[in-house]
Amino acid sequence: MVRTVSGPPGRGAGSSGPASPAARPAPRGALGPRGRPGGVASFIRRHRLTPYALLLPSAAAIGLLLFWPTIQIAELSLQNYGLPQVTGVAPTQWVGGANFSAILSDPEFWLSLRISLIFAVVVVPLTLLIGTAVGLLLNRLGRRMATFVSSAAMLAWATPAVSASVIFIWLTDPDGGIVDWALAKMPSWLGGGAHWAGFSWTNSALPAYTLLTVLVVWQGFPFVAVSVLAGLKTIPAELHESARVDGGGAWRIFWRITYPLLKPIFLVLLLLSIIWDFGVFTQAYLVTGELGNRDEYNLGIYAYDRAFTLPPSYGVGSALALILTVILLIITIGYVRASVRQGAVQ
Amino acid sequence: MRLRKTPAAIAALGAAALAIAGCSSGGSSTTGSSSSSAAPAQLTVWRMGSSTPAQVTWMNSVISQFHKSDPAYAKTKVKVVFVPWTNRTQDWTNALSSGKNAPDITELGNTDTPTEASLGMLANITTNVNSWTNKSNVVSGMLANDTQSGTIYAVPWFGGVRGIWYRTDQFKAAGITSTPTTWADLVADAKKLMAKNPGTYGLGAPTYDTPAVASFIWGAGGQIATQQGGKWVAQLTSPQSEAGIKFYVDLFRTDKVSPSKYIGQTELGNVGATSGGANEDFALGKLDMYIDGPWASGTFPANAVGKSSWASFPIPSENGPNPAPVFSGGSDLAVWSGSKFKTAAWKLVQVMDSVPNSTSFANSQGFFPPYTSQLNGGTYSSSQLLSGFAKAATNSQIAPLNAKNWATADATDLVIPTMMKQLMNGADFTSTVTAANTKLQNVLNNGSQG
Repeated sequence: MVRTVSGPPGRGAGSSGPASPAARPAPRGALGPRGRPGGVASFIRRHRLTPYALLLPSAAAIGLLLFWPTIQIAELSLQNYGLPQVTGVAPTQWVGGANFSAILSDPEFWLSLRISLIFAVVVVPLTLLIGTAVGLLLNRLGRRMATFVSSAAMLAWATPAVSASVIFIWLTDPDGGIVDWALAKMPSWLGGGAHWAGFSWTNSALPAYTLLTVLVVWQGFPFVAVSVLAGLKTIPAELHESARVDGGGAWRIFWRITYPLLKPIFLVLLLLSIIWDFGVFTQAYLVTGELGNRDEYNLGIYAYDRAFTLPPSYGVGSALALILTVILLIITIGYVRASVRQGAVQ
Repeated sequence: MRLRKTPAAIAALGAAALAIAGCSSGGSSTTGSSSSSAAPAQLTVWRMGSSTPAQVTWMNSVISQFHKSDPAYAKTKVKVVFVPWTNRTQDWTNALSSGKNAPDITELGNTDTPTEASLGMLANITTNVNSWTNKSNVVSGMLANDTQSGTIYAVPWFGGVRGIWYRTDQFKAAGITSTPTTWADLVADAKKLMAKNPGTYGLGAPTYDTPAVASFIWGAGGQIATQQGGKWVAQLTSPQSEAGIKFYVDLFRTDKVSPSKYIGQTELGNVGATSGGANEDFALGKLDMYIDGPWASGTFPANAVGKSSWASFPIPSENGPNPAPVFSGGSDLAVWSGSKFKTAAWKLVQVMDSVPNSTSFANSQGFFPPYTSQLNGGTYSSSQLLSGFAKAATNSQIAPLNAKNWATADATDLVIPTMMKQLMNGADFTSTVTAANTKLQNVLNNGSQG
């Protein structure tokens, strides 16, 4: 705003700064004695490469930290690289798509993929729903109550994943866990009953992932709540006020005003939640009994197992990492495209 | 054998005397490796499990014997690292792939040895073992497990077998006069004990306990896998094997003498957990009989009950009267392939595995030494607790434990544990066992299920 009023400073004098536009061909003499050492700079200027030059450092960093490892993983995924190859007992060989076909023909891969997908489909909406509800609540609470509720939520968020998992494992212990004890004491019309005494939450996939759902939602909703709250604070109070004056209920106000305005935030939260919940490892690893229950593996644990447990196969692990990346790209790319298009229309 | 034993022993004694006399600096090192024979500043030993006071005391005494055994090693520091059993393959893999923080000597579970040897982790110690004083005294099957195509990669250190733990006071109270020798008796006794001790379970049947499952397969006359023409053929689908599997599954499903929480567990509880397993339940009087080795008492909590009544009997076979064959477990000692001090490392292995040291260690941990001279001595068969295990030990089986890929099939791919778990959770019997059988055969032969 301010810039358009006052105009670009220093534009009037063509020679005032090195960053001045070089759209007009400079007079021959202007290159002068500084022409040669400034060859690169003038090349950049002539070809309008300044934006790219500015992007170069971050592109180099990303390339070094992201693209190079990705290329390495792609290379490994086509090799039989394992421990004998590391120690030199056996030679490294190119195996083409053998790693990929071994994974795709493994029933355990499809089981773990199914578990990961179902888990994400349940946990992502739950986290977003509860997080949004708490965010809206925090926005309406008085200062003291808001501090209380948000610090309680922050504690859940700040608890390290390992500690939280161990606490949940203890809570649901078949011998002395409070959950089984309480469920056994509850009347049957509340779903309780004596059959809960000594109930094992980890001996098959359904109870184990039910427990994990509670754990991951509990740890994941505060981030959503805080993000939604931050978004709500940016909406001018007049908008909600006038909507209320016009007779809009809370439900309508949310869908007509809050949700459209916070859409970009929800989109980011959705993407992050999908990526996190689809790839949840720490909690799942601990709750399902480390690597001891193959029929309870999710994709993350399956990939870890194939890559690193005896005998380690870094080739198969790399192939799995690529497959996981592609799956996540397929899931997320649609949303990213939709959001970009929406942003352009608006 | 007897005739050959004495000269061999004299030769080995002579070699030892030469070593004591300080010939270690010469170029005529007896090890076949290219490693330096100079005395190292430090040797690193990886032990498995946790460093209990008894373990530390024993290790310290071994180290001082090692220092005295050869003046060259008097100043060699021995660093002992205790690796939790569940971390062992990961730690070996890391040390092997990075070449850093590797030990000079490592203890291995005897089922680990074939796999790790094939991965290039263990040094070839054939020449050393062939000139070793104790070679002829070692239980031959145990040494065979450490040998691949004539190359020896490790030496047995101690061994043990599983049996069924019970309490004499509970048996007496339930009117059981003799230990069961058939499966029918076993289940009947388990039910009697449960009726007499309300709130307890009769016989624990964890799914992640392949040695126990194996005994029931063998006890019905079945096999897990057999070697035919250099190939492993999985045998889980034979009628005998299926009878054993079905009996174990039914301990939970139809006989209901085992609780549901053992599904997915080892005899020590969930993988990674330190409590809540069958071992703890037995010690606390919540489980009347359970399958484990004599070493289990080391895992019992301090407030264990009924200590003076603890006793054991061998796992029965289907129709008796002889017990079922048992998986023979235990630990080996091996020299790390990348060690710079293989001569010194082998020297220390010999001290750790000497007959008195191995015996005192095994006794303190509830194991048996790997030496026939000690096993036939009779001290074990007169003990109330150990007699059952000692009886079981006379009928142990090696195959398919000696398969190169057995550790992969059992500890990584969990073929049998997963099958047992699925069956106890109600999966279709025939299709589940068939699938596991195919997978087992693939892994045993190819090292992977693909």
